[in-house]
Amino acid sequence: MLVYITQRLLQGVLVLFLISVFTFFLVNLAPGGPSSLIDFQSTGAQREARIKQYGLDKPVHTRYLSWLGSALRGDLGTSINQGLPVASLLSQRFLKTLQLAAAALLLATVFGIILGVLAALNRNGFIDQIVSVVTTLGMSIPNFWLGIIVILFFSVQMRLLPASGSYTIGAEFSLADRLRHLILPASVLAFSLMPNIVRVTRSALLEVKASDYVRTARAKGLVERAVLWKHTFKNALVPVIAMLGLITTVLFSGSVVIESVFGWAGLGRLAIEAANGRDYPVILGVTMLVGSIVVLVNITVDLLYALVDPRLRHG
Amino acid sequence: MADSGLQAEVTAERPQTSRFWRNVRRNPLDLIPLLVLILLILMVVIGPFLYPHDPARANPLSTLDSLSSEHWLGTDELGRDVFARILSGGRVSLAVGLLSMLVGLSIGTVIGGLAGYFGGKLEAVLMRLVDMFMAIPSFFLILVIVTSFGNHPAVVIITVGLAFWAQMARVVHAEFRKFRKTEFVEASQALGGSHSRVMVRHIFPQVLPQAVVLASLGVGWAILTEAALSYLGLGIQPPLASWGNMLQNAQQYLFLKPILAVWPGIFIGVTVLMFNLLGNTLRDWLDPRN
Repeated sequence: MLVYITQRLLQGVLVLFLISVFTFFLVNLAPGGPSSLIDFQSTGAQREARIKQYGLDKPVHTRYLSWLGSALRGDLGTSINQGLPVASLLSQRFLKTLQLAAAALLLATVFGIILGVLAALNRNGFIDQIVSVVTTLGMSIPNFWLGIIVILFFSVQMRLLPASGSYTIGAEFSLADRLRHLILPASVLAFSLMPNIVRVTRSALLEVKASDYVRTARAKGLVERAVLWKHTFKNALVPVIAMLGLITTVLFSGSVVIESVFGWAGLGRLAIEAANGRDYPVILGVTMLVGSIVVLVNITVDLLYALVDPRLRHG
Repeated sequence: MADSGLQAEVTAERPQTSRFWRNVRRNPLDLIPLLVLILLILMVVIGPFLYPHDPARANPLSTLDSLSSEHWLGTDELGRDVFARILSGGRVSLAVGLLSMLVGLSIGTVIGGLAGYFGGKLEAVLMRLVDMFMAIPSFFLILVIVTSFGNHPAVVIITVGLAFWAQMARVVHAEFRKFRKTEFVEASQALGGSHSRVMVRHIFPQVLPQAVVLASLGVGWAILTEAALSYLGLGIQPPLASWGNMLQNAQQYLFLKPILAVWPGIFIGVTVLMFNLLGNTLRDWLDPRN
């Protein structure tokens, strides 16, 4: 088990290292340069000074090593356009994305599992077909377009919910106000996340229902409800948990778009601002942070698996 | 007897086509996605020649017009014809979707195939590369590349393809691994078949069905991704229209002209839906258990 954990952690570190090399070199070898270097009002001397300040006069592998050195100590450099440390920008924005992602994950999991279970219990029936229509739509409708449409309906027409931001500017802090701002973006993000969960839940449940141990449970005379709760659902949850890594990447990708539609100041917005402003240290920092989270989630899932599965524990 | 021998030969020659028609007869509704897609493609390819408006020509005298026989879907904030923009934007969106999927399919098949067939060190290295690409959420990867290389349509196509290849490589890798030690592969190697011959002529055809299903679902995903990217202003740039960047301006006119935000979304949604349904149908048809 210890060997397995170490192996898995080392693999994770290797993947993170690869991501950092790939991103750093891509960003640094690209034509052009940081946006402030293309500033037409600055004099040649100012430009030279900036090049010195960001260390752009050194060769790229030296720059990478010095970036890596400070990154390991928690210093990800300074934003070119905002002048703030990248690390503090990231921690500010990350909290916002975490709120949105957690709310969306909660909604998507609850509704996804309910729909998946309903579909599996009514296999090929009416409910199953309705669920299949809903999930196919969730996969096909652009989430940002859905965002625009719900803004149109709930904010412009009905005037029920705020269209953008995460709180009312100038008002005092109130939980109700925060939640009201969260409802629309979280629901839209959840809607594009849900199809995955529904499908996996449905097929896992069908597979478990057809398995030998469920047949045994039935044969020994357990009532149907006990079979479902004690033997089926618990085992059907495993594939859903196994999918958490994929879900995290979908959540992050989705948040980039949804945060823009709803003016939500999270990591996704930060990445887009950085991309538009060619703010290299920021785009590098965001990618590293997001990549680390995905790698961590994947490792955690694998370890959980190993804990649950005795074959891996003793193997 | 001679008669029946001929019969057997004929059916043996076209098992794929007969299976196709058997499936169609059993469930003719399955053909709908394919027909709709063909119709859509014909529409965006031929449409601009028949519909008499230039998608890029602004007309300050008729901005934000409603639907009319002159402008079928009205005009946008600059007085450009919305239907003409849907047609030419559709060309761009469909082309980006199909081409980027081709990029992803090719890279994924080559890398997944090499890793699965040869195994060993090569496999370890290539699969860590796949892990790396799987760990960066696709949209962040795309942002990094677009930041570095700008948003020329060719860059957008390659970028969206790069965000997809790892998934394809995983599937192809698993299949090649499975077939590496099978008897027909060993037989072909023993007969002196080169590695490339075995891979291309013997294993690849076995993997193709799965790859096609994934690619069909992938085209839908690629169209959605291009649309989102262009909506954010990082993909296809105006004045070239794409279904995504048409929505970029529409959001600013939500109060004045909400319908402008509806049309591109419907076209994206229907197209992606059809590719997804086509993928599902292909999966059912190619499933050997069927």
